[in-house]
Amino acid sequence: MEEKLSREEVLHVANLARIKMNEEEIEKFRVSLKKLLNDVEKINEVEGYDDEILIAPWSSECKLRKDEVGEMLDPKEVLENAPRHSGNYIQVPVVIGESEGA
Amino acid sequence: MKYLDKSIIEIHELLKQKKVKPIDLVEEAFSNIEAHSDLNAYITLNKEEAIREALELEDKEVDNILFGLPIAVKDNIVTKGLLTTCASHILDNFIPVYNATIVEKLKEKHMIIIGKTNMDEFAMGTSSRTSYFGAPKNPWNQTKISGGSSGGSATTIAARDVLFALGSDTGGSIRQPASYTGIVGMKPTYGRVSRYGLIAFASSLDQIGPMTKNVYENALLLNAIVGTDPKDLTSADKEEEDFTRLMGKDVKGMKIAIPNYLISDIVDQEIVNRIKAVAHFLEQKGLTVDYIDMKYLRYAVTLYQIIAMGEASSNLARFDGIRYGHSKEDPKDITDLYLSTRQEGFGEEVKRRIMVGSYLLSGENAKTYYNKALSIRDDMKKEFEKVFEKYDYIIGPTTTTTAYDLTDPMDDPSKTFMDDVLVIPVNMAGLPGINIPVGFDKNHMPIGMQIIGNSFEEAKIYQLASFLEKELNLDLNPFGGENNE
Amino acid sequence: MSNYIPTIGIEVHVELKTKTKIFSNSTNGYGQMANSLTNVIDLGYPGTLPTLNEEVILLAIKAATVLNCKIRRQMHFDRKNYFYPDNPKNYQITQARTPIGYDGYVEIELNGEKKKIGIEEMHIEEDTCKSTHRGEKTLLDFNRAGVPLIEIVSKPCISSSEEAKLYLEKLKELLFYSDVSDCKMEEGSMRADANVSIRKNESDSFGTKVEIKNIGSISNVGLSIEKEIQRQKELLDRGETFKAQTRRFDDKVQNTVLMRVKETGNDYRYFPEPDIPYLYITDEMIERVNKTIPMLPDERRIIYIHNGLSDINANKLIQNRKLSDYFNDLLDKNIDLKTASNLLLGDISAYLNKEEKEIKETTLSIERFMQLVNFYSNGTITSKNLKEMINLIMETDKSIEEIIDLSGVQNITDDNKIKEVIEKIVKENPQSVSDYRMGHDRAIKFLMGQVMKETKGSLNPKLAMEVLKEELDKNVN
Repeated sequence: MEEKLSREEVLHVANLARIKMNEEEIEKFRVSLKKLLNDVEKINEVEGYDDEILIAPWSSECKLRKDEVGEMLDPKEVLENAPRHSGNYIQVPVVIGESEGA
Repeated sequence: MKYLDKSIIEIHELLKQKKVKPIDLVEEAFSNIEAHSDLNAYITLNKEEAIREALELEDKEVDNILFGLPIAVKDNIVTKGLLTTCASHILDNFIPVYNATIVEKLKEKHMIIIGKTNMDEFAMGTSSRTSYFGAPKNPWNQTKISGGSSGGSATTIAARDVLFALGSDTGGSIRQPASYTGIVGMKPTYGRVSRYGLIAFASSLDQIGPMTKNVYENALLLNAIVGTDPKDLTSADKEEEDFTRLMGKDVKGMKIAIPNYLISDIVDQEIVNRIKAVAHFLEQKGLTVDYIDMKYLRYAVTLYQIIAMGEASSNLARFDGIRYGHSKEDPKDITDLYLSTRQEGFGEEVKRRIMVGSYLLSGENAKTYYNKALSIRDDMKKEFEKVFEKYDYIIGPTTTTTAYDLTDPMDDPSKTFMDDVLVIPVNMAGLPGINIPVGFDKNHMPIGMQIIGNSFEEAKIYQLASFLEKELNLDLNPFGGENNE
Repeated sequence: MSNYIPTIGIEVHVELKTKTKIFSNSTNGYGQMANSLTNVIDLGYPGTLPTLNEEVILLAIKAATVLNCKIRRQMHFDRKNYFYPDNPKNYQITQARTPIGYDGYVEIELNGEKKKIGIEEMHIEEDTCKSTHRGEKTLLDFNRAGVPLIEIVSKPCISSSEEAKLYLEKLKELLFYSDVSDCKMEEGSMRADANVSIRKNESDSFGTKVEIKNIGSISNVGLSIEKEIQRQKELLDRGETFKAQTRRFDDKVQNTVLMRVKETGNDYRYFPEPDIPYLYITDEMIERVNKTIPMLPDERRIIYIHNGLSDINANKLIQNRKLSDYFNDLLDKNIDLKTASNLLLGDISAYLNKEEKEIKETTLSIERFMQLVNFYSNGTITSKNLKEMINLIMETDKSIEEIIDLSGVQNITDDNKIKEVIEKIVKENPQSVSDYRMGHDRAIKFLMGQVMKETKGSLNPKLAMEVLKEELDKNVN
């Protein structure tokens, strides 16, 4: 019997990623996601490492940029690339509610 | 007259003497590509622009060895005015208004971008089969994969369409396809090459690197693309250098380490035998070879799954149908816009990785998985550093098998990671690593060997690589003389 | 209504006054045509990467310093991941683990008592784009995307709406004076959110927290906190409970209105930003910043009052930063500072307001102003004269003395000249003279009037009076 995630678990994760799922996709992902999540459990086998973290193998510290204005885009370019625009604005369907991140 | 079969030095001379013009090279490249179109190496060809540039170059002085040479660029590298898709439906209409930094560098050297090569969607995969445009084929055997994610670049080089191609490598995506197709592929030290304009998959792992048919040309291309970039804060503070400078120098006395894990039973015996044979050969030439144990190598894939998928879930969040790219038509509301655009736009592998990545970063999971992975990653890097205190190189096979069938089932999500088990640790530690072809299996499919060096020691890697290349003197033309006149 | 103890915390977002944005070199501007101040980084185009604006770090260090915060020496950024159209990358680069400033405070004074309001932390982050709702659509303007912000989080130790307002006034004053920000709540360069909870006793744990957002002014912060405390008191008194929630201040109803109930913890999936390496804040950077911190308002207040200015004038001066800076250049000069402040706040300010100029845009250098103050102090010129000469004073380079000559404003201080005029008037008005001698004080006023008429008001009245009296008393003997 194949290990699977529940439907709810798949939908939860799909929502985090803002990806819609149809029934067929949900069923497929129930299996494949479970497999990957099992894979990452291997991390619990590792022992003897210290707390120091490596975020990325940077070879130097952050460099600072001078506060001088550079080139900006022509608003026309900005709007042309956007799937929807209205006047000088990029347009989206109406957003209800405030930003969750504000 | 087939110019692109000649050595770079010959071509350069011919250009300088005006015996050949850039337009001849460009036309030859396109004709090669056309002849091999069923290899599906390209997503977009840059015909008009390449021809225009080639003609413009006729008035210019041949000022460097790469002048006028055509180059193929992986389609996750942003090219201004030229469709850049990442092999994804979500960007299949994306024409950038800006260039990647390395593209600017190629233009400075007067190279001509011939087209954008096929790849796994968003560089996620090990066979280029997740491409929205179908997989490229291996010139050695067209029923086999070229590998991934830089499969298209590997194919076009192996097929001898052009001399130069760029790939990107996050968990082996240059070296592994190079191994499957019998070409030279280098992943430079993290930070060597600017990532500005490389569409991000995993920011702490991605690097752009050269893919060529031989070591010398590989080093020449690396020369052209390295350099600190103020637009990329992770780019290293390194002066320009000539990566060919140690080629031809004596390698006697160099110390080589082969980690036992890399030749354990996870690798096909035929490949292990070949690597051991090469090791033995090097010993005979006066190098020392030690077999060592490295504790953390076996966990590299797990770390990669957590870190790469975590970072990817964040890097790919920007594809939402609002500012560019594919967008759901007539969305009901903003939520529908997000959900449907991304459902329609992304392929299965990409969706899977984004979802797992989001999950691993959420709530308490970040501590249990992500932060833990960062801690272990630090120890992994330190372990490599310790090895390099005593050794000049770490070598081993690049891939666990040779190229497998295009029709191999794709339903095991772990497989796309395990294909890279031998190469991923190098990205984790940010070290440079190269694949060079060292032989063939019983079906005459290429076997590749990986040479790993210490940070920023690409020149030293080229030293050993060119030595072996010369000594082994393999015939690496998959068409066995078809292209020769 | 039973007694409850309110606990209030305030979160303030302040836009930093830089030329360019934090992670890209687009203009950091306001009020420009929509989507005209953006580049590929601001819009989150694929393959783009952040760069870090030096001025942002310097201003953040400055803000941390004036807010008495400790400064983090190894600083980094984190990604806060959430989907929203005003968020071009669908993640915001912020600081979760290593805020640049922490453990700070500002001091407020309420009813004569001083209180330190603790600052938990102060971190740097990028602003989102601006969204406007129009019927079925939402319109996005990315000019603001990437504008540098600092977020200042107070400790939950504010106990009243009054304290909250004073805290905000103090923050505004400090950050404005140190040139960190314009601090204009009406333009959005300073935004405040309040967190309010109440409990019965100090020993109880904190009550359910309610967040209030979208408050457009400091006075509305006070009002919304009061209303919210009231609302919570009423609910608890009725035995009701309420959920943690976010409310917004509605100007029309002058009260807070529910926006949304808080779900169990927003999942921002924070992780360290891999595109930006560690930044090390050096002693050199901190010293460089310290040198740019001007004298702050509290110190100015003390000095001004010590030099004889009234409380009102001291505060008036401080409220006009440019005048205050100008005034500070006089502090070590040997002139009457009280008079100087009166002139600045009086006729000089009147001129500046009328002409819509800043003092630095006029020709009134410190040297010339000092001349002016001296001539005014010793009576050579009067306020009336000043009004007549103001244009020449503020728009030409002529010395004040020259201007006095030119204006024919001959406030005669020459003793002989004064004597001449007085003698003439005395001679011409014998009746008044004898009246005065008979003890009629009004006579001397009449005589002074005549003197003034004769000299067209250009005599120093004090001096003139002295000489007149002398003259009148002289002939008695």
